[in-house]
Amino acid sequence: MTATTVDHDQVHAIAQEVFAAMVDGDLGLLLPWDGELPELSDAVVAWVDLLGEWSGRAVLVTGHGTAEDLARALLGLADDDEVSREDLEDAFGEIANVVGGNLKSLLPNHGTLGLPQVGSAVPPLAGAVRVQHLPLSWRGRLLVVDVWFAAPGTLTTPGGNR
Amino acid sequence: MSISVLVADDSRVMRQIVIRTLRQAGYDWDVREASDGAEALAAVRAEEPDVVLSDWNMPNMTGIELLRELRRAGFQTPFGFVTSEGSPEMRATAEAAGALFLIAKPFTPESFREVIDPVLA
Repeated sequence: MTATTVDHDQVHAIAQEVFAAMVDGDLGLLLPWDGELPELSDAVVAWVDLLGEWSGRAVLVTGHGTAEDLARALLGLADDDEVSREDLEDAFGEIANVVGGNLKSLLPNHGTLGLPQVGSAVPPLAGAVRVQHLPLSWRGRLLVVDVWFAAPGTLTTPGGNR
Repeated sequence: MSISVLVADDSRVMRQIVIRTLRQAGYDWDVREASDGAEALAAVRAEEPDVVLSDWNMPNMTGIELLRELRRAGFQTPFGFVTSEGSPEMRATAEAAGALFLIAKPFTPESFREVIDPVLA
């Protein structure tokens, strides 16, 4: 069976491309996080599962205020416009969905993409290992992208768990 | 005469982005929306649009099921996917079912024009 993995730079490139096209219109606004990771007391988590002979999951985590600003950017709202919980979940889930879809396109195995889900914490994925962990800075605010895989033969890459 | 488009996506936010991107790409089309494949099928049956732009992965009825159902029912409505996964396998599946194009998310007004202009000409 083919080992299923993606490398750190591929995940970062996908996240950057998604943010450039959907959120910012500029490739340079999603950078590696520099320094200690702050505690997110009001985390919002969006994830999408990749299902096939292997299972995987793309997970995005950020603070509530950042998720609100992402929703404003996607919906073309002003900085002081109210964002409903429904729009926040829809917008952040859709970002996870597009990141997950692009990750899946890199993988050799056939399979399907689940529907995006959003909550305050992500449920466990049985037998999964985190193969990538990317703390990123979007306009100076923390946004973490994690990739999990659960399959026989799943390998972490040298770029993993940075 | 204005072109009518049906945009099917279970994400309201993504429907808004698709509609905004169509405008930014210069397509001043009449837009209707559907929040899944089943709703889109009913909308086409009620009034056939000039083109359908559909997400792939939706609850109730997926985009590919929608396309197959439309063709089975005799609708030859021009149909394109706007989806988060653009693997060669999905492109082949889309084409075999009769889709004119597949736009992978994330997209830009330029990527809309590149794909849509040739099939509108």
